[in-house]
Amino acid sequence: MADIRFEHVVKTYDNGVTVIPDLNLEIKDKEFVVLVGPSGCGKSTTLRMIAGLETISEGELYIGDHVVNDVAPKNRDIAMVFQSYALYPHMTVYKNMAFALELRKTPKAEIDQKVREAARILELEPYLDRKPKALSGGQRQRVALGRAMVRDPEVFLLDEPLSNLDAKLRTEMRSQISSLHKRLATTFVYVTHDQTEAMTMGDRICVMKAGIIQQFDTPQQLYNYPDNVFVAGFIGSPQMNFVEARVDANGSSYDLVFGNDRIRVDKPELARYIGKEVILGIRPEDLHAEEDFIRKAEDACFTAHVKLAEMMGSEIYLYFDILGSQKIARIPSRIPAGVDMDIRLAIDTDKVHVFDKDTEKAICH
Amino acid sequence: MEKRRKLSDHIWTIILALLAVAYCYPVFMILINSFKKERAIGTGSIFKLPSKETFNGLAHYVSAIESQGFLKSLGFSLLITITSVAAILLFCSMCAWYITRVENKFTKALYYLFVFSMVVPFQMVMFTLSQTADKLGLNRPFNIWIIYLGFGAGLAVFMFAGFMKSIPLEIEEASMIDGCNPIQTFFLIVLPILKPTLVSVGVLEAMWVWNDYLLPTLVLDIRKYKTIPMLIQYFRGGYGKVAMGPMMASIMLTIIPIVIVYLAGQKHIIKGVAAGAVKG
Ligand SMILES: Nc1ncnc2c1ncn2[C@@H]1O[C@H](COP(=O)(O)OP(=O)(O)OP(=O)(O)O)[C@@H](O)[C@H]1O
Ligand SMILES: [Mg+2]
Repeated sequence: MADIRFEHVVKTYDNGVTVIPDLNLEIKDKEFVVLVGPSGCGKSTTLRMIAGLETISEGELYIGDHVVNDVAPKNRDIAMVFQSYALYPHMTVYKNMAFALELRKTPKAEIDQKVREAARILELEPYLDRKPKALSGGQRQRVALGRAMVRDPEVFLLDEPLSNLDAKLRTEMRSQISSLHKRLATTFVYVTHDQTEAMTMGDRICVMKAGIIQQFDTPQQLYNYPDNVFVAGFIGSPQMNFVEARVDANGSSYDLVFGNDRIRVDKPELARYIGKEVILGIRPEDLHAEEDFIRKAEDACFTAHVKLAEMMGSEIYLYFDILGSQKIARIPSRIPAGVDMDIRLAIDTDKVHVFDKDTEKAICH
Repeated sequence: MEKRRKLSDHIWTIILALLAVAYCYPVFMILINSFKKERAIGTGSIFKLPSKETFNGLAHYVSAIESQGFLKSLGFSLLITITSVAAILLFCSMCAWYITRVENKFTKALYYLFVFSMVVPFQMVMFTLSQTADKLGLNRPFNIWIIYLGFGAGLAVFMFAGFMKSIPLEIEEASMIDGCNPIQTFFLIVLPILKPTLVSVGVLEAMWVWNDYLLPTLVLDIRKYKTIPMLIQYFRGGYGKVAMGPMMASIMLTIIPIVIVYLAGQKHIIKGVAAGAVKG
């Protein structure tokens, strides 16, 4: 049993800066949780508190049933993979992986068996006698994983382990880490600032900003039901489009008015906002240029002047302005659309998100 | 362009070769004279190579080794050098580790104190030192290493700290997670990574302690203990008689161990000096 629980945890660094003001987070046993957020938001700090490398200023951290605030890293039964890999430069790959077990006085035969097993899974067998400096980045990365694996830890911590790899290797390692998680069946906490990594790997994703959790949920929930503007903008690529709009009553439903355009939205939650400004969020794929869609959605159409068109293969990304700020639409590439054309776009009003302008919290999805 | 660079390379090679000859020449002089008969080591004939008449074989070496407790002094010198260097390496690397890893005002002050100690000339403190050493009983070859530790610490801490800054902290954190206590982290991780610096510092300090004349002369009880450099001085002391032959022979004998140490550590010295400068 290794669930991890933060209860009102505060982290203030020696220089007096409070990086984490009040963290409450519960990570379940065997779960793959991704901590994601912009640079400097406190992801590494959170992870290092779990590892015991940073002290906890206030509050309690539980691993299993025990408060571990004052437990030394070596007694927490965790393994960590660092961004820089942090391999021991003077040891061979084999020794690097065996080191933790040797410290625990594991019998030689068992060490050998475990190291070779890990090397086989990670395809490191040919390199066991090499020193880290004679390895490529991807191989070093796998050694770092192997070093953590052989220990059978209760908790696996990974701090941006893939950020030093090229795009192709990153995709490859992503699936390797995912399958490693299934194989080991332990708790994984994975830090990244790359939302694609977060979406593809996490059972649940914890989106952080300035030390505060914005939303902690499954990838589907985050994508389809973001709690606030920050999460909506952070998750998804290309980014969600945001438009400031005014709410007008229109019979039994409501109109969202921006510039000269108005779209009809059928959400009862908007009643309280009549006459007020809200933020309308539309994902690029919820803008449609197909004929039949436009015909059906007469009251949710507007005309966009294409500034830039990026051909992606099956889709085209169209860039255009609404009220002076740039927006993106993803439309099927068979639709004729090019730079400087005026194109009719329909909004899929079932999938729009509306946010309160002051609190930036979601009103309805 | 390519050609010109080659030409300047050649010029540098010649200049450096000449310099090397200039540096080696005195040693070479001592070497040839140590093989000459006593009367041929005069002002007039000192630059001459040994000839058939003046060649003395290994006679001076034999008499140097047999005379005046050469072997005993050799023993003292070895003892002092080994204990001092060992103490400097062990304590200074630990100290530098503390200074680089625990950052506060105290360690910063400590660091500057060590650096400052390098610029204090030995002559400034030597008389008070010899009295203090007498009082504390540090005037024997068995514990003079404590004094050497003090005088060698400046350079050693400076060099160790410089290199330790370039070891990523994450390596030590990884070892803590892997199950090391601080002592294990130091001896199993930090020291092995530090090996090139250990060798460089070790060789530099060994050369200094081995060749040091002034400090042991001032501190040690001269009637009982003589290190090799002190002993060599005694070849010319005495009653006006200067035994040049045996003196040169013993100089040659004392150079040998330190040259061996230097050659053995040379590869690491270059690595150690470069490691501090270039990261990775
Ligand atoms: N030792 C420290 N002393 C003081 N402040 C620190 C220290 N370490 C980190 N910080 C500050 O804490 C904040 C969070 O740092 P942290 O490393 O957790 O960010 P992060 O989310 O991991 O960012 P990144 O994606 O860039 O790695 C940053 O503003 C940073 O400046
Ligand atoms: Mg980080």
